[in-house]
This record gives sequence, structure tokens and C-alpha cells, in this order.
Amino acid sequence: MSYCVNCGVELDDTARFCPLCHTPVVNPNQPVNDALPTPFPEERGEVPPAAKREAAILLSAMLASAAVCCGVLNLFLHPSRMWSLYVIGAAVMLWIWLVPPLLDRGMHLLLRLMLDVGAVALYVFFISLDLNGWTWYAGLALPIILWGGSLVLLLGLLLRVNRRSLLTTVTILLGSLGAFLVGVEFFIDHWIARAWEPTWSIIVLAICAGLMIPLLVVRRVPALREEARRRFHL
Amino acid sequence: MAKDNKSGKPEWYPLDNAGVLYSAIQKERYSAIYRFSAVMEERVDSAALQRAVNRTMPRFPSFGVRIKKGAFWYYCEPNSSPGPFIREDISNPCQPVRFREDGGWLVRFYYYERRISIEVFHAISDGGGALVFFKTLLAVYLRELGYAVPNECGILDVDQPPKKEEREDAYARYAGKRVLRAPLGEKAYPNTGTPEPFYSLNVTMGFLPLDILKEKAKSYGVSITEYLTAVLMKVLVEKQHRERPRRERPVALAIPINLRAWFPSKTLRNFILTVRPCIDPSLGSYTFEEILSQVHHYLRLNINRQQMQAMLTGNVRFTTNKILRLIPVALKDPVMSLSYHLAGVRPYTGTYTNPGAFLVPQAMGRHIRRMEVILGQATLPRVHCASISYGNEMEITFAGTLKETDTERDFFRFLVREGIPVKVESNRTACSELMF
Repeated sequence: MSYCVNCGVELDDTARFCPLCHTPVVNPNQPVNDALPTPFPEERGEVPPAAKREAAILLSAMLASAAVCCGVLNLFLHPSRMWSLYVIGAAVMLWIWLVPPLLDRGMHLLLRLMLDVGAVALYVFFISLDLNGWTWYAGLALPIILWGGSLVLLLGLLLRVNRRSLLTTVTILLGSLGAFLVGVEFFIDHWIARAWEPTWSIIVLAICAGLMIPLLVVRRVPALREEARRRFHL
Repeated sequence: MAKDNKSGKPEWYPLDNAGVLYSAIQKERYSAIYRFSAVMEERVDSAALQRAVNRTMPRFPSFGVRIKKGAFWYYCEPNSSPGPFIREDISNPCQPVRFREDGGWLVRFYYYERRISIEVFHAISDGGGALVFFKTLLAVYLRELGYAVPNECGILDVDQPPKKEEREDAYARYAGKRVLRAPLGEKAYPNTGTPEPFYSLNVTMGFLPLDILKEKAKSYGVSITEYLTAVLMKVLVEKQHRERPRRERPVALAIPINLRAWFPSKTLRNFILTVRPCIDPSLGSYTFEEILSQVHHYLRLNINRQQMQAMLTGNVRFTTNKILRLIPVALKDPVMSLSYHLAGVRPYTGTYTNPGAFLVPQAMGRHIRRMEVILGQATLPRVHCASISYGNEMEITFAGTLKETDTERDFFRFLVREGIPVKVESNRTACSELMF
């Protein structure tokens, strides 16, 4: 039998390290016995995601009935105007946001975000149909949605696919907010004056940068990071 | 308790108030699960074990149930799905249950080498009830192997029909008139750490000679439970102090109390309450002897029949309140979840449970090497502690979904310094990068 030199506890004959302090077991008189079964199985059990089919069906029925009711009502109430498109578009958008993730629990985050952004673009398209606004939709709304959507996709990639610390997350979110607003002003300027004259978005970007710099410093300096962790009891 | 069955539909019965709570806080990634294991002297015969499960389950109808969501409350009904089937054991035990999948079974059976394990969803039974079930299962298993085991030491006769009192809601039976509501405890030191990826449960077990442990506890004039509670609180107080927080928070443990010792009942369903011994380091530093004294006197003062009856009465009133009954379960769940967090998680640093000695007939004892208990994941990445004794061995388990090993390391090192030899086993297979 081997004992941990740090903890003083007896270890199992199959243990390669102390489970308490992770000190490797080095006992020339009794090497680790690989022939014996380990105290616990090594096979991991997977937890299957809970099926949400019933919730998906219920949600689909609710959204479909709201959309159909408004569509039929539109035939009799103010039929000259397609006001029901607002409700139908919202129902379609909500359906795309909520139901596919319930049906496919393993859906990749990036695919889900792409669907969500597409749903927003579709809803705004329905609004533009009612307002005869193809010009502003194609020239202003769609670029802003695509710009915002691409930033959300990037954030999804940076934050969810690769896990980040809280400080890094906040820093990335601040940077993304600044970049998004610069883009928004660019598209607005380009739509109105065909020329980019950045003003308010630069102020916002400067504020975001001002907030990001101390966060980056805290993130990079271990002593400051430890101090912040202790202060906030993280 | 079971409803009259004239329509041919399965008999259903409402959950007790503890069951209501555990069902309400059930999530896709969290279930209140615990595990008991017996390490036998011989390798497990899986065919005999399955036969034993098949023979034992009908005798324990409160374990052969599924939980369904009604409009206003959850309820239990007999599970007619095939099974439950035994499975080969896994390295990450106490996985969350699914009410609608896996046949809806809320009790699971595993085997590995010489170990037989059962996992139970806390809504259907507490540790006291599950141990009766497990003891009977082990007896039937040994009989299947050809050994003669008498129905003694709490082993139920599987050839007898189930008794009504074993399915009673003992909380409702003993609910009195006076209600005692414990004040909402102050936020305690959370003792959280870095969470492992879903789903991992790190288990570390320590094995101690019971006679030496008993002698040590006796030398301080306390019981084994009080001694181990005080050791755990001491290491938690010191751990918090090492982390140098701006303000040290109280260290409080949830200690489940088996009410059957005070209120005679044969129920195999839940019948427990928890008490909350607490040390506030912001008042000053405590020596180990002072913590022992606090724990000893707190437990002796607060565990009494009258106080516990008033507390359980308050819990029963919650499920019988006519206004609350009319609130749909979909609205009740998030409120109960929040209440559980505020009253059952936030004021506690961890849980320590000691179901006591596992007593079996002599004819059965020579086939069992040792007993183990695991308290499953907490709602936060923190460790829970549980212990069980069998023969001259006390087994203490730390289990949690966090990477760090600080709590269990300090705990077992403390016992070694006290002169108690400890043997440690764990399901951790890789050295954590956090240690280096």
C-alpha cells in the first residue's frame, strides 16, 4: 500500500496520484498495480437531452392559431391594409426562435443564431411589404440586421463555442457594442448622404474603449485579477 | 393514501411536501439524487441481481412509481413500463432523471465488479426508506445466489404484500396545530468552485476505522455525527479565511434528521427535516473544541420532538393551503425554485448527512465487504458530504460538480492529524490543472 506524502492518507493500489492533492505516487517498493480493477468504473455515462416535443407542438399550435386568426380577421377588418402581416411575421419569427431548438436539442449554436438573424430579417421584410418600403429595407434595414447578425455570430463563436472568463466576456461585449454602433452610423450616413461622417458612434466607441482598457489590464495582471476576485467574492 | 381504483386506471397518490419540493426544483441539468452502494465479497452476478430486482420491486410500490405533472401539483402513479433494468456502472454517477424518459423510473440499479448500487430520486424516498429497500434487495440477491438470509434487521419479506403504512405520508400524519417557521437564514459562505463540464460528478471516498473514530469522538464527549460535522465546519471556516474575503460569512451546514426516531412510522417515503448548525467567523476565531461545543449543544437543543413537529406542520400547511392549491404548477415551480434557493441553498455552505450504521443479519454480513453512500450534485458547484458505517468501517464521501478538492483534502488531512488513519479512493482520473 502507498501513502500520500502530503496528505498522509492511504491510497488505492491502482492510484497513480493522490486524489486529494494530486501528488504522483512514486513507491519503488510497490509500483502502481494496473492489473487490479480501479475502484470506480472508467466508462462515462452520457445524459441524453430531455425531449421537448410536446412543448414544441404546443408552442407551434399557439403561434399558428394566433397567425391564422389574425389573417382571417384581416379579410374582414380593414381589408385594404395587410396589418395582419405584423402578427403573422411576429409569430413566424417567434416560431423560428423557439421551436427548432426544442425539436433539435443538439442544434449547433451558430446554426441557431443564423436562423434567429434570418427570422428578424424576415419579420422586418413583412413590415416593409405593408409600408411599401423595399427601398429602405434593402438599403438600410437589411445591412444593419446583417451587420448585427454577423457580430452576434462572432460573439457566439467567441463566447459559447470557446468558453471565456467573465472579464473577457464583458470586454468582448463592450467592444462588440462599439463596433455595432459604428456600423449603424455608417449605414445611416451612407443611406442619407452617401458619405460617412462618423460623430456619435465614435463617442460611444471611445467610451467602450475606455471601459475595456481597465478590464484588459485587470485580466492581464494576475495580482489585480486575484484582488478583483476576492473583492467580488467570485 | 392511494386513490380508490374503480375505473381500472392506475392508483395515484399526491407527493409529500418534500417530494413536492424536489419535483419542483427538478431541471434538465439537476435532480436531487443519492446513491447507496454495497461492495460484496464476490463479483456481482448480474443475472441474479436482475432477478432480485424483479422480485423486490413489487414489494416496494412506492419505488415503482413515475412522477407526473398535474395541473396544480405533481403526483405519483404506479409505473407499468418494462424494467427497471440493471446496468453496468458509470464513472459519473447520480445523473439527472427524466420524468418522461427511461420508462419514467426514478430508481436505478448499477453493478461494477463487486459493487451493487442503487440511485434514488429524492422525491420518492429519503435515505432511511431507501436503505430498507436496498437492504431487502441485497438479501434477495444473496438468496438468489443460494445463501440463506433471514428477514431480520429491517429486511422486509418480499413474499408478503406491501403494507399501507409503508406508503403513508408521515408528514401529514404527524402535522399538529402549532406552526414553527424557521427564520430565513443569513447568506452563508457558499464554498463554490470551478464547475466541471456537464455532466461530471467528482467523488472522493475516505474509509476510517469506526472504533478509532468512535474513541476520538468520545474523547471530546460528542457523538460521531457531531464530531464529523465539527471537523467539516472547522475546515470550511479555515478555507474561507484563507480566501481572504472582505467580510467572512457564516459557515452553516444542512444536517438531515431522520424523523422516524421521534415519530414512529414505517413509511418508506420521505420523512426528514434538516437542522442548521452555524458558525459565524465574523464574531471571532473559533478553536476546534469551541466549534465542537457549538455543534454539540445546537444539535441537542434543536432536535426535539415538539420543535420538529411544529416545523413539519408548517411544511404540510404549504401543500394543504387552499389558495396555493389553486395556483397552476407551471407558476408554482419557479416560485418554489426561487424559495428553495433563498431558504435551502443560500443560507448553507453544504450538506452533511449520516444515515448511521447499516445493520444486517450475521448470515448476510459475511458477504458484504463495505457500504458506500453518495449525495448527488448540488444546485451550485459545491461538495456535499455523506457518511455511512458498516461493521468497523466508516465511509465518508465528498461529491460535487467542481474541480477543486480543497474541502475534502483539508477534511481528511484534519482526521489524519487527529490520529485517525484514512484510506482514500476517487473517481477522478486526471490531475486537475488547477492544482499546478
